[in-house]
Amino acid sequence: MGEKPDVWQGTLSVMVLKTLQTMGPLHGYGIARRIEQTSGDLLCVNYGTLYPSLLKLEQEGYIASEWGVSDNNRKAKYYKLTRAGRKQLEKEAREWEQATTILARFLSPGEKSS
Amino acid sequence: MRKLRAWCLRFAALFRKEQQDRELAEELESHLQMHIADGVRAGLTAEEARRQASIALGGLEQVKEHFRDRRGFPALEAVIQDVRFGFRMPRKSPGFTAVAVLTLALGIGATTAIFTLIHAVLLNSLPVAKPGELYRVGDVEQCCNNGEIQGNWSIFSYEQYKYFRDHTPGFVELAAFQAGTEMVGVRRANSSQPAQSMRIEFVSGNYFATFGIRPYAGRALAPEDDRKDEPPVAVISYRAWQETFGADPSVIGGAFTINNQPFTVIGIAPRSFFGDRLTNLAAFWIPIEDQPLINPIYPLVNTAQQNWLDLIGRLCPGGDPKQIGTRMQVELQQWLLSPIAQLQTADRASVPKQTLRLSPGGAGIRMLRDQYSSSLQLLMWISALVLAIACANVANLMLVRATGRKAQTAIQAALGAPLSRQIRQALIESVMLALVGGLAGIAVAFAGTRLILRLAFQNTSLAIHASPSLPVLAFAFGVSILTGILFGVAPAWITAKTAPIDALKGVGRSSGRSGWAQKSLIVAQAGLSVVLLASALLLTQSLRNMRGQNFGFDTPNRYILHIDPQMARYKPAQMLAVYRELQDLLSAIPGVSRVSFSLYTPMEGDNWSEFVYIDGQTPPPPVHNNEVSWLRVSAGYFETLGTKILQGRSFSEQDTPTSEPVAVVNEKFAKTFFKGENPIGKHFGFYMVWKKVGNFEIVGVTEDTKYGEPTKNFAPMFFLPAAQSVPSVDDARFSHFEDASHILNAVELSTLGKVPGLEMKVRDAIAKVNPDLAVIDFRSFAQQVDNAFSQQTMIATLTSLFGLVALVLAAVGLYGVTAYSVERHTSEIGIRMALGAERGEVLGLVLREGGKLAFVGVFIGVMAALGLTRLMGALLYGVSPADPLTFAGVAVLLMAVAVVACYIPARRAMRVDPMVALRHE
Repeated sequence: MGEKPDVWQGTLSVMVLKTLQTMGPLHGYGIARRIEQTSGDLLCVNYGTLYPSLLKLEQEGYIASEWGVSDNNRKAKYYKLTRAGRKQLEKEAREWEQATTILARFLSPGEKSS
Repeated sequence: MRKLRAWCLRFAALFRKEQQDRELAEELESHLQMHIADGVRAGLTAEEARRQASIALGGLEQVKEHFRDRRGFPALEAVIQDVRFGFRMPRKSPGFTAVAVLTLALGIGATTAIFTLIHAVLLNSLPVAKPGELYRVGDVEQCCNNGEIQGNWSIFSYEQYKYFRDHTPGFVELAAFQAGTEMVGVRRANSSQPAQSMRIEFVSGNYFATFGIRPYAGRALAPEDDRKDEPPVAVISYRAWQETFGADPSVIGGAFTINNQPFTVIGIAPRSFFGDRLTNLAAFWIPIEDQPLINPIYPLVNTAQQNWLDLIGRLCPGGDPKQIGTRMQVELQQWLLSPIAQLQTADRASVPKQTLRLSPGGAGIRMLRDQYSSSLQLLMWISALVLAIACANVANLMLVRATGRKAQTAIQAALGAPLSRQIRQALIESVMLALVGGLAGIAVAFAGTRLILRLAFQNTSLAIHASPSLPVLAFAFGVSILTGILFGVAPAWITAKTAPIDALKGVGRSSGRSGWAQKSLIVAQAGLSVVLLASALLLTQSLRNMRGQNFGFDTPNRYILHIDPQMARYKPAQMLAVYRELQDLLSAIPGVSRVSFSLYTPMEGDNWSEFVYIDGQTPPPPVHNNEVSWLRVSAGYFETLGTKILQGRSFSEQDTPTSEPVAVVNEKFAKTFFKGENPIGKHFGFYMVWKKVGNFEIVGVTEDTKYGEPTKNFAPMFFLPAAQSVPSVDDARFSHFEDASHILNAVELSTLGKVPGLEMKVRDAIAKVNPDLAVIDFRSFAQQVDNAFSQQTMIATLTSLFGLVALVLAAVGLYGVTAYSVERHTSEIGIRMALGAERGEVLGLVLREGGKLAFVGVFIGVMAALGLTRLMGALLYGVSPADPLTFAGVAVLLMAVAVVACYIPARRAMRVDPMVALRHE
C-alpha cells in the first residue's frame, strides 16, 4: 500500500472536477474513492489534502456544496459542478492534453523535429 | 476575478469560524463512517475497519488545521490574536501601562513638537498652486540695499524688475514684491478713530496671478491696478479682515485711508495665504506703483539704484531654471551698463563679475529659515535624546515585565508556540503601546509647539500653527512605530532566550543575563541625562550672561514706541515743530520724566552705518574696515536711555542748525580712531564714495553701547544731534539719506516708577498732535531687549525642560530597576539577615549597587557631553563649553537624584523580615 504514489501537485483539482462531471453530485469520501478507482488503484488520495482542495474549488466558485443524505442514510456534504466549473474543466483538460502531447513528442524515440 | 472572489470568501470566513468548524467536523465524521462501513462490507472487523480508515484519513486535527489554513488567512488571524492579546495585557497592569504611555508621550511629543516647527519653517511650501514651478531670482537673503553693487544679486530695483519681466521669456509670470513689510497708519474713511498701525507690502500687479491664488472674496490685484494713474486699491489679508475689522463684509469695496491717502479695498486674500514670508505678515497688499503715495519721503519706484524688491516667477512648463538664471545674469550685466543704471564709473569694471542664480521659490522668502535652522537642528537633536531616554526607560520596564513573564513564555514554548510567533507577539505588544503613547504624544506636541511659538516669536505675527498637519501626524506615527520596535527588541530578546525547559525547572530564579541588559540601559539613561542637563545648564548660563551684560543703557522704567511721520504726510521741514509739540504733550503726562527722539533704538533690529574719515589722518583705502554705526538723536537722548557720558558733554538745546556741527562718540570709537589721545575737540565726517562729507567736532564720549547683536563685541558708534544737518553736497543719494535721517521714528520715555495707563495716555497725546499718526509697537525697553534674546530664551527654556524630563525619567528608571532587584533578591537578603547581616549593611548593599550604575552613567555622560557641548560653542556667550562648575554640578545633581531613587527600595530591603523572606519561595 505504501508503494502507491500520491496525487501529483496541481492535478487533484482537475481530477475532482472531472469526477464530479462524470458522476454528478458526490460527497468527499466518494470523490476520493472514485479517483482511486479511476486511476486503477495506482494513485492514493491523501484525504487530508482533499478537503482543503475542495474548499479552494468552492471558494473559487467551480463547485458548490450542500448537505444531503448518503446511500446508507448518513448525513453527508455533497459537491456538484457549477457552470464555471464545467468551463474551467474544459480549459484545464485542453491544457493537460497539450502538455502531454508536447511531453510525448519529446519522449517518443526516433522522431526528429524538422 | 476568481482569486478576488476566493479572497472575499476567505475574509468573510474570519467572522464565522465556529459554524464552519462544526461543519467540517461533521463532514470528516461522515467520511470516516462511510470508510468504516466500506471496510466492514469488505469483511474486516469493525475495529480493524476503524483503524484502517483512521490511518487513511491521517491525523484528524492536522486535516482540520490544513483546512483552516485554506479557509481564512492564518497569518492575519494570528496577528489579530496578538493584537487582542496586546490590548488585554496593558489593561491587566494599568500602573505599568500608565507609566509607559506617559514616558512615551513625553518622548514622542517632544520630537513631534520640534518636527512641527521644522516642517513649518524649513520644509513647508506656500499654500499656492504648484509651488514646485515657482523660482526666486537670487539665492541669498538681503533686507535692504542702497544701490551698492551686490556681487551675487538677490534684491532689485523696480526698473530692473521691469527689464527682467519684459526680456525673460522663460517665465509664465514674474512677480516683484517688497523685501519685507512696513508699518502704515490705516483708518476707515470718515471714521473718528485715530489711525491704526498695520503692515503693508508693495507687490506687482501680477503677484496673485503668479502664485495662482484666487481671492476669498472680491477680486485680487490685477496688472491694470499697478499703474500710476489708476485709483489706489488694496487687497486685505483674511486675518486682518477677521481680527481688525471683525469680518465686516462692507470692507470689500470700502473706502480707507492709508497714510492719509484714500484707498479702496477690492478683495480679501484666501484664509491660508499669509504672504511670501512667515513673519511680519502683511495686512494689505498694495500695487508697487502706489508706493510714492504712501511714502512721499522715500519714493522708491523711480530710483533705479534703490534695490528693495524680491522677485519670484512661475517657470514655463519644462523650463530649466539654470538656463534662465544664466540668461538673466546676462540681462543684469547689460542693464547695469545701460545709462539708466547710473553706475559709478569705479563700479563698471566689476560688472562682468556680477552673478545671479535662481533658487526654488515654492517656500517663499525664508529669512526665518536662515535664522532658525541651526537652533531647530540643535533642538531636534535634543528632543531625539529625550526620545532615546524614554525608549530606554520603557525598554527597561518591558524587560522587567518580560523577566516576570518568563514562566508564561516557557510554558508557551513548551506547548509548541514557534519562536517567531512569540517574538512577533512581544513586538506587537510594544508597538501598540508606542502607538498609544504616540497618540498622547500628539497632544503633548500641540501644547509644546504653542509654548515654543510663544517663547520664540512673542509679539510677531506669524504664519505658523501649532495644530498638527498631515505630515506631522505621519511623522508621529512613524516615530511611534520605530520606538515600539526599538524598545520591544529587549523583551523579545528575553523571550527568545527562554528555553521550554525553564517551565519545568520552575522559573522565578534570577539569572544574570537580563540584569546585564537592564543595567546597561540605566547607564545609558544616566549618561544621556548628563548630556542634556549639561547642555541645558550651559545654555541657561549663557543666556544669563547675555542678559546681564552692560549694554551701555538702562532698561527699568523706560518705554519705547515708534511713529512714522509719513502717516500724517509731514514734510521734513515740518518735523522740528512736530517733535517740539510731541515733546511738550508727552512730557506733560504725570510721571513721565524725560522724552527724547532718535532715528532708531538699541536692540530693535535697525542699523545705519557709514564709512568715516578722521580729520588729520590719511583717508582710508577703497576697501576699508571703518564702517561705523551711527544715528541721529534729540537733546536728552542719553539721559533718557541712561547712557553715561564719560567725557565732555551730551547734546543740548544749544546744538542748533546754526551752531558748530558736533558729534558724540562711544568709547570704542575713541579707542579705535584716536588710540589713547583725547578725542574731545577732534574732527571727523562721513566718507562717501571717496568724498569727505561733513565735519563734526567731538564734544562728548559715552560709555560703550551695544545696539545690535547681543553676543557680538562692542562696536564703534557715533551720534549726531537731530537739530543739525550736514551741509548739502552735490550727491542725490547722500541728500536723500540726509533727509531720511531726520525722520526720527523712535520715541523714548523715561518715567518715575510705574505709571498706570501710560500706553493709553501716550496714544491720546499722539492722536492729539495728529489722528493720522499711529503708534507703532509701544513696549517697555526691557521687553524690547528681551525680544532680542527670544531665540536664545526658547532654546535655553526648552533644553532645560527636556533636561528635567530626562532627569525624572532616569530617576524613575533607576528606581524601577532597584525596586525590582530588591524584590527578586528578597530571599537572599533574608538569608543574609538571618546569618547576621546588619540592616545598615543591607541598605549599603542596595545603595551601592544603584550608585555604581549611576556613577558609571555619569562618568560616560560627562565624557560624551564634553565632546558634544563643544559643538554648541557658537551658541554660548561668556561660558566655556567645558565649564567645570557646570559639569561638576550636573554630576552631583544626578548622583543625588540616583541616591534618592535607590533609597526608597533600599529602605524596603532593610525592613525585610528574614522569616517572611525565607518562606517567600
